[in-house]
Amino acid sequence: MNAESPKIEPALPVIRQLDAAAQNRIAAGEVVERPASAIKELVENSLDAGATRIEIAYADGGKRLIRVSDDGHGIPADALPLALSRHATSKLDGTDFSNILTFGFRGEALPSLGAVGRLTLTSRARGAAEAASLTVRGEATGSVRPAALARGTVVELEGLFSATPARLKFLRSDRAEAQAINDTVRRLAMAAPETAILLQDVSDPAAPRQILRLDAEPGDLFEGLGRRLGAIIGAEFPENALAIDSTREGLRLTGYAALPTYSRGAAVAQYLFVNGRPVRDRLLLGALRAAYMDVLSRDRHPVAALFLDVPPDLVDVNVHPAKAEVRFRDPGLVRGLVVGALKQALAGAGHRGATTTGIGMLGAFRPETDQPSAPYRPAWSGAQAPARPAPGTAALFTRALWSGRVEELPAEPEDAPDPETRPEPLDLPLGVARAQIHENYVVAQTGDGMVIVDQHAAHERLVYERLKAQRAASGVPGQMLLIPEVVELDEAATARLLDAAEDLAALGLALEPFGGNAVCLRETPAILGEVDGRALLADIADALAEGTAAGGLEARIDAILSRMACHGSVRSGRRMSAQEMNALLREMEATPLSGQCNHGRPTYVELKLHDIERLFGRR
Amino acid sequence: MKLSMERSALLRAMSRAQSVVERRNTIPILGNVLIEAEGDKVSFRATDLDIEVIDRAPAMVNKAGATTVSAHTLHEIVRKLPDGAMVELSDDGLSGRLEVRAGRSHFSLATLPREDFPIMASSEYSCNFGCPAPVLRRLFDKAKFAISTEETRYYLNGVYMHAATAASGPVLRCVATDGHRLAQIDAELPEDARELPGVIVPRKTVGELRKLLDDDEMTIAVSVSETKVRFATPDVTLTSKVIDGTFPDYARVIPSGNTKRLEVDAADFAQAVDRVATVSSERSRAVKMALDEDRLVLSVNSPDSGAADEELAVAYADEPLEIGFNAKYLLEIAGQVDRENAVFLFDSPAQPTLMREGNDETAVYVVMPMRV
Repeated sequence: MNAESPKIEPALPVIRQLDAAAQNRIAAGEVVERPASAIKELVENSLDAGATRIEIAYADGGKRLIRVSDDGHGIPADALPLALSRHATSKLDGTDFSNILTFGFRGEALPSLGAVGRLTLTSRARGAAEAASLTVRGEATGSVRPAALARGTVVELEGLFSATPARLKFLRSDRAEAQAINDTVRRLAMAAPETAILLQDVSDPAAPRQILRLDAEPGDLFEGLGRRLGAIIGAEFPENALAIDSTREGLRLTGYAALPTYSRGAAVAQYLFVNGRPVRDRLLLGALRAAYMDVLSRDRHPVAALFLDVPPDLVDVNVHPAKAEVRFRDPGLVRGLVVGALKQALAGAGHRGATTTGIGMLGAFRPETDQPSAPYRPAWSGAQAPARPAPGTAALFTRALWSGRVEELPAEPEDAPDPETRPEPLDLPLGVARAQIHENYVVAQTGDGMVIVDQHAAHERLVYERLKAQRAASGVPGQMLLIPEVVELDEAATARLLDAAEDLAALGLALEPFGGNAVCLRETPAILGEVDGRALLADIADALAEGTAAGGLEARIDAILSRMACHGSVRSGRRMSAQEMNALLREMEATPLSGQCNHGRPTYVELKLHDIERLFGRR
Repeated sequence: MKLSMERSALLRAMSRAQSVVERRNTIPILGNVLIEAEGDKVSFRATDLDIEVIDRAPAMVNKAGATTVSAHTLHEIVRKLPDGAMVELSDDGLSGRLEVRAGRSHFSLATLPREDFPIMASSEYSCNFGCPAPVLRRLFDKAKFAISTEETRYYLNGVYMHAATAASGPVLRCVATDGHRLAQIDAELPEDARELPGVIVPRKTVGELRKLLDDDEMTIAVSVSETKVRFATPDVTLTSKVIDGTFPDYARVIPSGNTKRLEVDAADFAQAVDRVATVSSERSRAVKMALDEDRLVLSVNSPDSGAADEELAVAYADEPLEIGFNAKYLLEIAGQVDRENAVFLFDSPAQPTLMREGNDETAVYVVMPMRV
């Protein structure tokens, strides 16, 4: 049968020019992939129009309706048709792409949106006598009609993607799309603290639901921004964050970066902006991670909102249709600025731990309400505390808890014999040691409360910082290899390694070129002991590709130091004298980054006096 | 099965068995020793699937048979029995218990069926030769410190035993290296070993082999194939897989043109290195050797904890030289020298350094300097 069937030549495909509507739909696919991206385009337009108040409403996750209203400068009635045609924009004169100061510039947003849904544009230009309105659906553009509007512009987009059912099918649930919209608006709102923003879900027109309400936050850069970030990320964020403001060769980095102890389990709260534009740029995210590498364990992620101001000619924002990625003229400089500024700020934070750790502890302290008759049970009693202690055992176990050398320290500071070990607690951030409990925790009294220090974690950090300082001072000795290892890599990796050869040599890793795509490894850092050179180089090349300085080799060396620090530090269970404890507190105050151990856990918690008073119902 | 035997013979056999058995096992049977009684002998067999050791001891066998029982438990029991005790091992083949009786002590141990015990497949050995125990002892003892512990370069995780040609003629040679230093030890090639294929004997096997080599009078029967190596005495048979890999061409890293010759008493040298290294707490303690005419200054400088130096009178007649080494490596090669002075041959601070004992060319050590 098969053999007898005639061979049918496929029809020769014909090349044709697509019509304008199809072109617009294709472009819309690039710019507008989901309702959130439509909202992003529209809100950016509003911001470019100098709006001080923007209202965003959506229905059914934005699929049914999207409406963005602003009080910006508006569009003159006669310019409305032009605004809806492709590559028409007021933001670019077409000659200089290297100097882009506005969010938009491609002139694609409105026509693209018009191509994928029913778009109504109503606007009243500043000084105009009345507002005008224009509706577009696909290729059918209506005529300009008078409309009623006090000021600004309202853009309404109905039935998004109804013209492109394929795209509609790929949208996620209303809920997920609403979440994406929320996220997008939050990011945009961070970059514009002086603009009030209202986000509403109007799926049920009778009962609009307010999702996000952000008041305009005037004031200088940090004040306003701090309040805006607090409103978006969480009220405790500004208190637990360090203000960043650093300039290098015309680039400026501002914003807030959270203390390491205020970290998250996933990289969800990292907000990065380039010239006010929210981006998810790999280079910047990598730099953020690198800056925290030393103070956070691998599975914790920093929280930060960072704003990078780059002279427009040093950054290309025209590399991604949704502008989520940018390209820098000098990536090394940007990375250096981010890592340097953050590290400096973190080091400056010294022993500061997050206030939330104290508050978390406070929560744990609270007597359980469902056991009103049970004796008060401190959280640190842990496993030793019986679940329901019999009345007579309470005193016994309290004494067992405080089995440290309490007796060595007189309870009243007044009768302190030695003024040297009893400085005025008010002067010292970490106060004066009063007792050691469970041979692991130092309890100290401060001017306005108390701190509890985990002696092992704290000392480990101190030793680690000392070892690092030593390494920086003395350099890393390299162990030469008896049999130089020839490692074959791809060409790009080879080039990257050889470019970094000088930095690596300073860390005890000597490389030589060995033909096109191989390097010859002659020397490895002696502290790493016997290492697999091939794997080491592959890792370093990967890290270099991500932009990590010296390919993370330094981090590896520090990891060894960190392990050594763990072995060389005061263990839990060691009794310490009052002098030793005070010396530990003083050294913590003097050492950068001593607020958390090498794994990012806090080394101490602080309880303010008013927190303690709250515990006892005095406040 | 029922047998009784002297505690000391049982302890010796069980010590060997339990050191082959891994402490933690995912396969229960591998934690057991296979006891087989027949005639007037009992054999104990243990394996980790890479190494198998069989130990035979005389015993009064009342009833032939075989069973398997936890090697560590039986070893612990025997160890704690009084010296000179007679130990009776019996099982009825039904209850799944091995009864251990000695004096008034009685233990009942769980067993696993002997059929489950993996027996290492025998191999066609292409080369069989006899070698006196002291010769093998020297070959492996002096080489093993340089075995690599880095598991990714598995082919360096053992001692490379092969037939080679030295200046003096054909030799049986053992080489080990970890990429930082290398040991090459030669011995006279036994007559039957001319066809010896090169094999890499794994680290653990080297350790187990060492226990067979204490008797100076013993001759060890060595059998080698492409995949296995066997060392046997009349009582013990140690069979091991060899590392499946290619040992690097070590000959080209052994320097032949090093001319700067330092001669020093090895013990004095080692003690001085150990002393000066004390001030450095780092894992890679770098010791600097500064050589001038008949003078060696060893120094360590640790910016944090301090510095140390010590001067040694040595024989050195070349131009001054400064070169750094990992203290641990210096101590380990100096520790191999036991009869004469240590002779170091240097070239430059970036080139491999050779060390040997006097003018003895049958044991040479190469160590790479450190850049300090």
